[in-house]
Amino acid sequence: MISPRVIRNLKKQFRSSLLPKVGLLLVIGVIIVAVFAPLVAPHNPTTQNLDRTELPPLGFTKTVNDTSAQMVDGEVETVTEVTTVNATLSYPLGTDGLGRDMLSRVIYGARTSLLVGVLGTTLAVLVGVPVGLIAGYSGETVDDVLMRLADVSLAFPSLVLAVALIGLWGRATVSIPDPFVAAGVASGMPPSTTLPITVVIVVGLVNWVWFARVARGEALSLRKQEYVKAARALGASDIRIIGRHVLPNAMTPIIVLGTVQIAAIILLESALSFLGFSGTTLSWGFDISQGQDYVSSGQWWIATMPGIAIMLSVIGINLVGDWLRDALDPDIEGEGGT
Amino acid sequence: MSLGRLAIKRSLQGVGVIWGVITVVFALRFVTPGSVINAVAPLDASQETRQAIAAELGLDQPIYVQYVQYLADLVQGNMGYSYVKGLEVTQMVFQRVPATVELAVAATVVAIVLSIPLGVLSATRRNSPVDYGATLFSLGGISTPNFWLGVMLILLFAVQFDVFQTSGRGVTSVAVVTSLVGPEPFVATLLEWLSYITLPAIALGTYFVALITRLTRSGMLDELGKSYVRAARAKGAPESLVRYKHALRNTLIPVITVLGLQLGTLIGGAVITEAVFAWPGLGTLVIQSINLRDWPALQGSLIVIGTAFVIVNIVVDIIYGYLDPRVVYD
Repeated sequence: MISPRVIRNLKKQFRSSLLPKVGLLLVIGVIIVAVFAPLVAPHNPTTQNLDRTELPPLGFTKTVNDTSAQMVDGEVETVTEVTTVNATLSYPLGTDGLGRDMLSRVIYGARTSLLVGVLGTTLAVLVGVPVGLIAGYSGETVDDVLMRLADVSLAFPSLVLAVALIGLWGRATVSIPDPFVAAGVASGMPPSTTLPITVVIVVGLVNWVWFARVARGEALSLRKQEYVKAARALGASDIRIIGRHVLPNAMTPIIVLGTVQIAAIILLESALSFLGFSGTTLSWGFDISQGQDYVSSGQWWIATMPGIAIMLSVIGINLVGDWLRDALDPDIEGEGGT
Repeated sequence: MSLGRLAIKRSLQGVGVIWGVITVVFALRFVTPGSVINAVAPLDASQETRQAIAAELGLDQPIYVQYVQYLADLVQGNMGYSYVKGLEVTQMVFQRVPATVELAVAATVVAIVLSIPLGVLSATRRNSPVDYGATLFSLGGISTPNFWLGVMLILLFAVQFDVFQTSGRGVTSVAVVTSLVGPEPFVATLLEWLSYITLPAIALGTYFVALITRLTRSGMLDELGKSYVRAARAKGAPESLVRYKHALRNTLIPVITVLGLQLGTLIGGAVITEAVFAWPGLGTLVIQSINLRDWPALQGSLIVIGTAFVIVNIVVDIIYGYLDPRVVYD
């Protein structure tokens, strides 16, 4: 599956352009930040500090009009005092409406996004690839039935189907203990990460069909190959042929699609948590929805920062996806965006 | 196979898929935690009252009877009754459809008008600043969540410059057209319509601008390298003819297919764009129905969205067959 030719192509594509390097850098950056969040984050992302709410990010100031009423000679006089609030180094991206550190929230948000993206894609692969391989390898009736099922699944936009399923199933979460906090190297940080498990299941289930289509296409062309026929003539079972001969040769497009799907699922997760259909409040999408309420009063950074984080990680994954696609050159399609 | 037969074959397949869509949506009824009865009956209703309600709604019947009844109702255009809102679902859903169609069409128009020239320019001036700019823009565009873009547009154009509306729909596009002949002033109506639809259309359309720019660029580069282009140039055809009549035409065929396939993304995107801008379309109805546990309204919206997707894809397939006759002979 990974031949020397593939590795040579990957290296050649990597050297020939700046874009794969930028992509890989962004992806590695996001992974490091997500994994080591408790060590990287300067503050606990859930600690509220009502003395430090809505602090601007570094390089910006904010003016506050304090209007107070005073009694002067029996008359009520209102005094407006304009004060300028400066950014502080301790909160480089500012704070939100409850005084929580935006930088730490963005860092912890990477965990949620990456966890949902990777686990959701894994689930989609585990469901979609076997279905596609069986459909493509069997052909005829089985193929017809499975692919019509895929058509029905495709008729619902991912986001609409996901919202409907979460609406029906609820917003279950799982707490994963944080190993760094447990080991005592990150005191004061949240002791566990909340994984929105319903979201993972739902995004996996709404995206399986792309993997099924790709795997089917590969199986369809591979089953006519001489070596598959030879294996069958030798008396190998269908399961063995699919596992030993068809699957390894179908891996390349599945890997490329998987990369792109992680980006698509990160976007989908952020959309779901923006709409309030997640189970965790430490998520980029959720923070954007919180920040939306502050936009009209001038606190632009609360909604802006998490969005930049989403954009950078998705750009990174897409660039890596482009690199893999150019180097491995499978012909695939998929639903992206939100 | 002729184009007519392709159309018939695809339509029959489409009917099958729509039937599947309806069946899936019907099945949702049985994975719903709270039953319909809970939504209708008073909290202190006795067991007898609840049974009477169930009988009245046909919920005491076996599932296959309910299923046949559901299909029969749908064929007659009856999508059930929303107990939460006290309205016919068919009426609720179709009241919302024009707003979503308007937004989706506006976004698609924004996308096509901007992206195809940008893609062509990018391909014909390869490695120029225009090309780099377009490449960066499309990379950013496909990686930006459209709801965030919506919030940023509100921040920039509504809060900072106060030029656009950020919430609701204002007048409909139909009102704009009728103001041409009616007593309403046309320009004022048009401007009001634009003040509401511009930001959501940009927020929803940007992803597609980016995507189509990318496709057009790579497609044009592909086509311009082919031998028929060289032949056309060799016989002295003007460059504009070669580019726009020959190369662009062939480039647009896959672009149309991708547009059809991405319709799901467009409708999904509309759902969340509507949420950001309080646009009164199907998307806000879907979210509202879930939050109010209004299952009949949710089911109706899902059926309409799924059916629309299937129909548009059939239309795209037939257009594709018309543009590229090779497909028909497969």
